[in-house]
Amino acid sequence: MRIRSLSLRQFRTYNRLELDLPAGPILLLGANAQGKTSLLEAIAFLAIGASPLTSVDQQVIHWGAEEASLPFSHVRAEVVRRDCTETLEVAIERKPLSNGHQRMQKSVRIDQRPIRRSNLAGHLNVVLFLPEDLALVHGPPVGRRAYLDNLLSQVYPTYVEVYDAYRHAVSRRNALLRHLRRHGGDPMQLAPLEERIVRTGVTVSLYRQQVIRELTIHIDRLHRELTGGQAWLRLQYEPNFDPVRPPAADQMGLLPEDAEERTLDVEALYTAYREALARKRAQEIDRGMTLVGPHRDEMRFISNERDMGTFGSRGQQRTSVLALHLAELRWLEQTTGESPVLLLDEVLAELDRARRNYLLDLLGNVEQTILATTDAELFPDSFRKRTTTLRVSEGIIIPVETP
Amino acid sequence: MTTAAVPPSVTQLIETFAELPGIGPKTASRLAFFLLRGKSELALRLAEALQGLVNNTHFCSTCYNVTEADPCPICADQLRDQQLVCVIEEPMDLLSLERTDNYHGVYHVLHGALSPLEGIFAEDLRIAELEKRVREGAIREIILATNPTSEGDYTAAYLVQRLKPLGVRVTRLGRGLPVGGDLEYADAVTLSRALESRQDL
Repeated sequence: MRIRSLSLRQFRTYNRLELDLPAGPILLLGANAQGKTSLLEAIAFLAIGASPLTSVDQQVIHWGAEEASLPFSHVRAEVVRRDCTETLEVAIERKPLSNGHQRMQKSVRIDQRPIRRSNLAGHLNVVLFLPEDLALVHGPPVGRRAYLDNLLSQVYPTYVEVYDAYRHAVSRRNALLRHLRRHGGDPMQLAPLEERIVRTGVTVSLYRQQVIRELTIHIDRLHRELTGGQAWLRLQYEPNFDPVRPPAADQMGLLPEDAEERTLDVEALYTAYREALARKRAQEIDRGMTLVGPHRDEMRFISNERDMGTFGSRGQQRTSVLALHLAELRWLEQTTGESPVLLLDEVLAELDRARRNYLLDLLGNVEQTILATTDAELFPDSFRKRTTTLRVSEGIIIPVETP
Repeated sequence: MTTAAVPPSVTQLIETFAELPGIGPKTASRLAFFLLRGKSELALRLAEALQGLVNNTHFCSTCYNVTEADPCPICADQLRDQQLVCVIEEPMDLLSLERTDNYHGVYHVLHGALSPLEGIFAEDLRIAELEKRVREGAIREIILATNPTSEGDYTAAYLVQRLKPLGVRVTRLGRGLPVGGDLEYADAVTLSRALESRQDL
């Protein structure tokens, strides 16, 4: 798939932008802080229905618009897919409430028709590769969970809905736990929320487990290609509540190696999860928070039996992230049957020549890639000849003649 | 709204109006100046109505609906089925159900729904009172008619836990497609709920 045109209103640096985008590689050239990353962010915003860079939607609103009485931000793109062309739109508006407060409201439309955010999934797929993605390997687990959620949210509407429901139930349960600690009250109020948490949480875990398993197949092969066959890499899912191996059984080593192949008895998972929550309940009331569930999941990068997050060199971590994003590309192709739009922000500068060439070669097979860079010299002439170059300067974009 | 041009008695009225739901500062000012503009008769009638609202109304000691008599006319009505109790969130919901002309039982008003994030818990609602009613009275069936929102569903699920052990029949309002609606335009959640609660014919 590819993006044919992009329109931004009051998005980050952009006051107003109308841009036609060709197929093939596109190079965004410009100094720092001119709007290159924001452009990539805007495209990813349409794919996920939320910003991949911030958890606070209103941060994307153009700074100038903050002064308007009711600021808004609007992103629209025409997406050409194999069998159709669609216009996707996401708008964020600050709406006044009767009590004088304001509320952020996000609306999503496809071909002018309002839809739920979850139904945006599957209409535009992107692989976003940022310099700070190195933290995916060595940083805190919250980044890895956000990565998985953004990937799953692009493809599965059910995941978006179930995960939202899960988070909502957890935050309500946390508020109730704090209330029980301070003021007492009927602990039976926990049960309906726990039932909701159990049912949605198991689904979240199963989706994550599945995508990690599928990504691992690709990541292992790609990583070996990138390291000249020297090192394998796999992703290891460490669910906080393990949907396949309940913690107690796991500790006792009761389950055979092929545990993942067993058919899942969902009711048994619900029961095990319910029991796990019950076991922790006293501790949870004491701390005023839910301690069991996928909001505390972990995913590790394991290469040659070592956790790259702890023991990997910077170079190894960089290779791991590159392999991850390429695996993501393959996974999206396989799952959706179409090649996603590749968005690369300053990634080449950090790679050695061999990997840079490996990556540039690979772009030949992707329908559309948008690369942001401060330095055009990083790209060989042969590559630039078949590339559309756009200069980005203070939120304005001008085409550049290829030398 | 604290300019010297507006006397304090007017400012105070404007600010009071603005505390009402659905009324912003602009509407509040418009209402205040409308009352001021020679319509003293209307202002006094309004004042009287408000006084009456505060002085003459209270909650029915059985169903907690707003009433001037106790028990309220619905609880006192022997033609209604006193063994059938419909549980609702707000007194306004009672008006909607009465409008159907199809319900002949009595009510129980919770005065809200469980919402931990807004600090509303079981002890803040008239739940203990409902339980007491079930224990004491000859109640055949409880119909849970809380809103089909996450708070309403949560409240209903909690009530089931509290009431079922008392041996009373507990039912929930059916959920599904709006009458006169079009299947094509039904949202996925409503449609899947309608599928779940389909009926044998």
